[in-house]
Amino acid sequence: MSTPPASAKRTIALERTYRASIEDVWELWTTKEGIESWWGPGGFTVTVQKLELRVGGELDYTMTATAAPQVEFMKRAGMPLDNKSRITFKEIMRPSRLVYAHSVGFVPGIEQYSVDTVLELSQSGPNVHLILTIEAMHDEVWTERAVMGWKSELEKLAKKLSA
Amino acid sequence: MEALLSGEHAVNDIVERLDIHQSGVSRHLRILHEAGFVRVRPEGARRLYSLRPEPFRALDAWLTQYRSLWEARLDKLGEALERKHKARGAARKDSKS
Repeated sequence: MSTPPASAKRTIALERTYRASIEDVWELWTTKEGIESWWGPGGFTVTVQKLELRVGGELDYTMTATAAPQVEFMKRAGMPLDNKSRITFKEIMRPSRLVYAHSVGFVPGIEQYSVDTVLELSQSGPNVHLILTIEAMHDEVWTERAVMGWKSELEKLAKKLSA
Repeated sequence: MEALLSGEHAVNDIVERLDIHQSGVSRHLRILHEAGFVRVRPEGARRLYSLRPEPFRALDAWLTQYRSLWEARLDKLGEALERKHKARGAARKDSKS
């Protein structure tokens, strides 16, 4: 399995241009006040518990459903109103490049799931160009986890049978 | 797993392709089958294995959701930048007057 086929790599790439200064964009991504001001999706607020802006450092935050429809939705889906996430910084090059791993806990059937994210910023005149690349785990890794779960079940079963 | 990307195969085909012992391939396929990643159908004396699309679709669906979350988030980032910009403009006006 040395060369994964193209289809096995699941990448999201997003590009935006904002009329802003690169320092302002960097600040919104890397400070407690900045992150809390925009990170939460509509109807959710985000509070940052821990922020260590260094390679290997962590950013812990909680996303809480606050607006009535979102609260209702989360309750009906049987999901908690609070969702904790962790970001681990891998590369920090102020103000143009940020790389981190994001642990996401809401894939059905899988407890923790890590997504690699690369943020690239560049200033041209009055505009900032933003490129965000998000790479999900390869199918192989994803599959392997599920398979490993099964393997341990099978091993338990084999032990029971041989006992 | 990758051997099955090109389509349906019997155990022997996969053994030839991957140069792994048959018992290893069979064991692997059995685990993948039980985990829901592979389906099997008999054809004469042979058993043909192929990938099931469902687990991969689940990942795709999740990614689609994740993408739209990020689209919305980047809109909010734009709004936050605008607020910052306006606040600074107002501050500048204040300092001038």
